[in-house]
Amino acid sequence: MTQKTKPATTSKTPRNKATLWWIIGGVVGLGLIVALAASIATEPEIDESIGFGEPVVEGDILPVFAAGTEDVAVGLTAPTVTGADWNDTPVSIEPDGTPKIVIFLAHWCPHCQAEVPVVQDWVDAGNLPPEVELISVATSTDRLRPNWPPQEWLEEEGWTAPVIMDDQIGTVAANYGMSGTPFWVILDGDNTNLARISGEVSVEGLDAMVDVAMSSLD
Amino acid sequence: MSVQSISFYNNFVTILTFVALIASVGLVVYRIVKGSEAAADLLGTNAIWLAWIVALTCTVGSLIYSEIIHFPPCRLCWFQRIAMYPLSVILLVGAIRKEAQVKYYALPLALAGLAVSIYHNLVQFNPSLEGGSCDPTNPCSARFVEMLGFIDIPFMAGAGFIVIAVLLTFFTKAKE
Repeated sequence: MTQKTKPATTSKTPRNKATLWWIIGGVVGLGLIVALAASIATEPEIDESIGFGEPVVEGDILPVFAAGTEDVAVGLTAPTVTGADWNDTPVSIEPDGTPKIVIFLAHWCPHCQAEVPVVQDWVDAGNLPPEVELISVATSTDRLRPNWPPQEWLEEEGWTAPVIMDDQIGTVAANYGMSGTPFWVILDGDNTNLARISGEVSVEGLDAMVDVAMSSLD
Repeated sequence: MSVQSISFYNNFVTILTFVALIASVGLVVYRIVKGSEAAADLLGTNAIWLAWIVALTCTVGSLIYSEIIHFPPCRLCWFQRIAMYPLSVILLVGAIRKEAQVKYYALPLALAGLAVSIYHNLVQFNPSLEGGSCDPTNPCSARFVEMLGFIDIPFMAGAGFIVIAVLLTFFTKAKE
């Protein structure tokens, strides 16, 4: 009976050494990356309530807007909103006899980021008649998303329209049937919904919205 | 998860993204200078292991973003996941079996994923490609991460797909 003898593995082969170096190099490299990432990580002091308000909404909810179809909410009375901007200055959407254009904005939405300067330039050029009020609602705020908080963004853009800060569950947006941002609602002086639009609007579109709002005064 | 932890994690994956891109460029240059034979001999079957490590890192990295940091994946993110996640299994099997033929199964996935990553980056730089408004829950055009002004999650995924594709294309020699 013969017995097979196993060759002794006393020394490391070049292949094993190479693998060992790969592992050591990988661990050291990963450690360096972790250390570098940790050294440049920032720790801003976060106030969880920043970017949110406590608006009060009264009235019947408008159905969710469906783009590309006839708005079933035209002619319905939009809810009354009593809120405030980030400085606690009261802002409301109420049936006070003034037609309104309401724009809902999300700080992280690139379409809103593109729309805000267009609208502000349009306002600065004097295209918003005094008979019509432009009100904005900062909604869908999320501190984990870019361009937070919304007030810093709007201040940087020189935004002059009054702003209502929506709450953490987007109560105002939900009550107005928002389906996407930016979202527009045109109201007459009695808070009756004349039209709703989802998406970016051109200068011509803004002029058309003013025409719709003004037509309610006739 | 705290903002500091997210900041740390974003920095970490951004550095990995740079490492992946620099490695890809280095490997392509090596392939051009030294030729196909030298490239195939440089790493041997370790190229498949390296590609698997990249795929695994991308898979785990995306799961950390969605399951721990709670960034919801958008539609285009899911298409990239569909390409990346199987790679972390296919390449492991190929590496264990030292099966260079695995490149023929893995490469189409990597290239398809890269194509989606490129389109996703274009959408983030030009949101009108995906319509005129943002889905309030999770639009593909919104950037959850914005490092150095241009590195976001699809950019990171694209870097992963690129390095995997380079390793499989130029450094894995399949038997004829």
